[in-house]
Amino acid sequence: MYWKYAIKRVLYGLLMYAILIFIFSALFNTVMEQTLRAQIEEQIRGETMRMTSLNESQLENYVINRRNDLYSLYRLNKPVAERIIWRTWDTLTLNLGNSTIIRSSKGSRSVWDVVSEAVPKTLLLFSVAMLIDIVLGLLLGLKKAQKAGGILDKSTSIGTMVVFGMPSWWLGMIMIMFFAYGLKIFPSGGLHSTPPPEGISYFFDLLYHLALPVLTLVVIGFWGRAFLTRNIVLGVLQDDYIMAARARGIPERKVLYGHTMRTSAPPIVTMSLLALLASVGGNIVYEGIFSWPGMGNLYWIALQQNDVPVLMGNLAITTGLYICGLVILDLIYGLLDPRIKVGGRQ
Amino acid sequence: MDNILTVDNLKLYYYTSKGVVKAVDDISFSLNKGETLGLVGESGCGKTTTGFALLKMPTPPGKIAGGKIVIDGIDITPLRENEMRRNIRWEKISMVFQGAMNTLTPVYTIGKQMMETLQEHREMESEEARKRIEKYLNLVGLSGDTVKRYPHELSGGMKQRIAIATALFLEPKVIICDEPTTALDVIVQAQIINLLKDLKEKLDLSFIFITHDLATEAEVSDRIAVMYAGKIVEIGTNQQIYGEQGPCHPYTRNLLAATPRLHAKVSELSFIPGAPPDLLEPPSGCRFHPRCSLAMDKCKEEEPPLIEIEEEHMVACWRCEKR
Amino acid sequence: MTVSDFRRSASEFWREFRKVRSGVFGLIFLAIFICILIFEPVIVPYPEANEKWRDITYWQDLPSSAPPSWINLFTSKKRAVSESIEEYAFSETLAGAMRIQEYVFEYDYSASVAPSDIVFHASGVGKPTVVISIERPDGLSIDLYRKQLEMSPTQDARVSIDRSAQTAAMNFGKKYSPSEGVQLQTIKTTDVLFSEAKQGMFRSPSPLAGIYKLKVTLLLQKAEEKIEDAFVTVAGRVHGILGTDNSKRDIWSGVIAGVKWAMLIGLLTALVSVSIGVVYGVISAYVGGWKDSLMQRIFEIFISVPMLPVLIVMSAIFKPNIWVMIGIMCIFYWVGPVKTVRSMGLQIKEETYIEASRALGASNTRIIFKHMVPLLIPYAFASMALNVPGAIVVEATISLLGLGDATIVTWGQILQAANSGGAMLSGMWWWVVPPGMAIAFMGMTFAFVGFAMDKILNPKLKTR
Repeated sequence: MYWKYAIKRVLYGLLMYAILIFIFSALFNTVMEQTLRAQIEEQIRGETMRMTSLNESQLENYVINRRNDLYSLYRLNKPVAERIIWRTWDTLTLNLGNSTIIRSSKGSRSVWDVVSEAVPKTLLLFSVAMLIDIVLGLLLGLKKAQKAGGILDKSTSIGTMVVFGMPSWWLGMIMIMFFAYGLKIFPSGGLHSTPPPEGISYFFDLLYHLALPVLTLVVIGFWGRAFLTRNIVLGVLQDDYIMAARARGIPERKVLYGHTMRTSAPPIVTMSLLALLASVGGNIVYEGIFSWPGMGNLYWIALQQNDVPVLMGNLAITTGLYICGLVILDLIYGLLDPRIKVGGRQ
Repeated sequence: MDNILTVDNLKLYYYTSKGVVKAVDDISFSLNKGETLGLVGESGCGKTTTGFALLKMPTPPGKIAGGKIVIDGIDITPLRENEMRRNIRWEKISMVFQGAMNTLTPVYTIGKQMMETLQEHREMESEEARKRIEKYLNLVGLSGDTVKRYPHELSGGMKQRIAIATALFLEPKVIICDEPTTALDVIVQAQIINLLKDLKEKLDLSFIFITHDLATEAEVSDRIAVMYAGKIVEIGTNQQIYGEQGPCHPYTRNLLAATPRLHAKVSELSFIPGAPPDLLEPPSGCRFHPRCSLAMDKCKEEEPPLIEIEEEHMVACWRCEKR
Repeated sequence: MTVSDFRRSASEFWREFRKVRSGVFGLIFLAIFICILIFEPVIVPYPEANEKWRDITYWQDLPSSAPPSWINLFTSKKRAVSESIEEYAFSETLAGAMRIQEYVFEYDYSASVAPSDIVFHASGVGKPTVVISIERPDGLSIDLYRKQLEMSPTQDARVSIDRSAQTAAMNFGKKYSPSEGVQLQTIKTTDVLFSEAKQGMFRSPSPLAGIYKLKVTLLLQKAEEKIEDAFVTVAGRVHGILGTDNSKRDIWSGVIAGVKWAMLIGLLTALVSVSIGVVYGVISAYVGGWKDSLMQRIFEIFISVPMLPVLIVMSAIFKPNIWVMIGIMCIFYWVGPVKTVRSMGLQIKEETYIEASRALGASNTRIIFKHMVPLLIPYAFASMALNVPGAIVVEATISLLGLGDATIVTWGQILQAANSGGAMLSGMWWWVVPPGMAIAFMGMTFAFVGFAMDKILNPKLKTR
């Protein structure tokens, strides 16, 4: 039952991804091709530089022939619709081309290399932050629900609303100004110091650099988590089955952490993950502020340097991860909520 | 006949921001071993609240404001929450809730929930526990496989049966049934009623049967208590209330009159004019007097006490005298 | 729903709303913002900030990177404030056909930190020679400037002492203090001019308080040459309510000017997108069947797109203006309420009065818009309020990346300038904190209102 649901969901996600990439390819086709043509010219020029033995007309012929060859190689001589479909196919098979300027740390210009290098760094930052965020938020939310309407509840709700409209990157700027430049406690950015230390010190150096960005994210995020948990738990606590469980003599601890939390888990988990996914976009600026070499920062650099292939590749991978996240979300929800896992009435 | 449950002068009030709602205001009754006492009345008369009061689980902002409850010789009135939970609830007295469809946690299997309840009260080996669960599921007409199911996979009737099985399997002395058939269709209703009657005989149980449906009440109850606006206005045996001579209290009489008979010609449906009173500011004297066609001046001033007009038949009305 | 029905439920809603304190605060803050909006031209010293944000000449008389004036309250080392000196002692002498006009401006310097700049302004006709010198309280005089200046009757000619007299000031300083090891280009002209003439005046100047006389002599040779409206502006070391940025722009004016854009962006995006979303959700719920499924598929495509990355790329390539950007944001935001609205719609659809309406022959449009949508209005309002902060932040993010609409001023753009101008590094908190706080504050306002509404609509969440 569940496996059927799971497979359907995954296939659906793939289909969605394909459709989106198609839309992107169509939308940005012109720009990509401009870049491609420029790259082709560059390549031809590089080749002709070394052909000192040929005369003028021979050179011209060579250039024209070469250009035609390369154009047909990159299918630039085919009709527009076909080109878009090919581009979609290329993107889906992760054949993302080369960048205009940006290189990976190993010097490669392949867009895939450049982007895939940045992915784990982003994941590191945001998973650590999300973990702390969820744990703290859940605990606080539970406490708030237990004494709903009390002082803790009311004051922390104010906190939630205060940070509701606060851009995470702005808080980052403030934190950097205060803690990094002002008090000089934390580094102002980067993944690690230069040169990066070896062995166990590398790990600590990493933590040291993670501290401020993670702290900022958690400060903004966990209020929302607590508020959400509180609301969902409160709603569940008022359901009849909780009262019935208590009547049956189940101890309060089990009622709260067993029956209540277990029923609250699906919506809490999904909404938390959704919030995380929503921040996939925001981290572009956020990483930039902290000079964190992840996907978001790459985006910014590609923008500033006008490196369109990297931009497109990054967009494709970001979208892919986003959809992946949505699929995982649904799968986890299905796992947690037996109404989906086991399906309807027999 | 010994009393398995006695209630003396029970009061349960809701302390709201608008004032104190006297939902249950000084009621007394008793339940004999092996009998079914019916609690009847309109919506809002306090019957469900009474049920919760017997479990000492008033819905917030309710609180028990006075009175005494004795179950199986134990005065539960002074007992604290912990003791109630461990020794009284479900052990001595249990409840089948109104709308049992919603009283099962959706994320746990039936088996887990039943097992949890059982093991919370008794030290039992899982095998023994499993056997007992199966026994009671069979008793209510369900197969042992049901333990693997989740609540959403079952029909309303099945969930109701599980609620009954769960209420029974610790073998408590008193079982409160709060509108156990109201949310079900007629056929299932009949099945459940028959099941309850059957179980009562087999296991020699004592029930408190709460409903607003007079017909069902007539089917199952040995004795009936009629509630109005938080007070008991009449208690009698099934025969006394539903029989030839009929009840004495105007409210009860009107209730019965309002129920059309299957074989009588009905040209007009009779009804009781007005609406149930506001329990924040109940009427003075007899609470029924604003709607009573037989009201006298005395009814407006003094509240009538419950007096015995026949053996086992008590009424609270100035108009009623000994038969 | 009739008008009286609507009015009754509205007043009931208001009665409930009044009880939620945070909601009332939210409304108060909202009222404050609206007041700011209305009174903007009155409360800002530079009312054309919005249009002239990128016009250097509009801001040229302000100091650069100056902190707010009120910090003087918190320090003993007072910094000179900005002022305008319009009075002068005038004398004119003739030397043949040449007219020599002398304007003497008095500046009372009593602070501990010199002003940023002193600028002489004059309009007129011709190309007179301008000679400027300054007489200090200690009696020393310094020649600052001697050049021919092109005058125009419509536009001020300006002489900035800070820029034009740098060499003169340094030479003056060198007479009293050794200058080895001192980077003379980094020293401010005014810091030298306004400090005691003694050793160490470059490295650790001590302020020379007193009356300074700025003498401006104009040599007019041709008969038609004349001078009008001569005055001097002093650009202080502090300025205004929120200081200035490194392009000399008054940040207070910028932040206030940004209020209208933030409100416009937030409210318009929220209004349009939630309206679309609610109608879409209701229709989807009502029509059911394959049409519903199709609408859901389309919905899922939209929701699978990560908004910000796509928005950024589109902004980078197509460089839209603010209206197009709002439009694009609506394209992403409409999906927000759809899921909830659809499930609410499905519930309403099952109500018997809907069936009754259909039996009476009501058209689908009528049922949807007269019976179903009104029930969702409270939810729609709460949803709108809660969407506003998000939209504002999205625009601010786009602006921060330098992709915003360059014809207006938004808080995000101010922050972008701060970031690229190294405000964090220089500790220019007055540049970084206020615009962000404005964003956060407006977000907070709508959060208060939105959550209060949410609380009322969701009785489950009501607490004793």
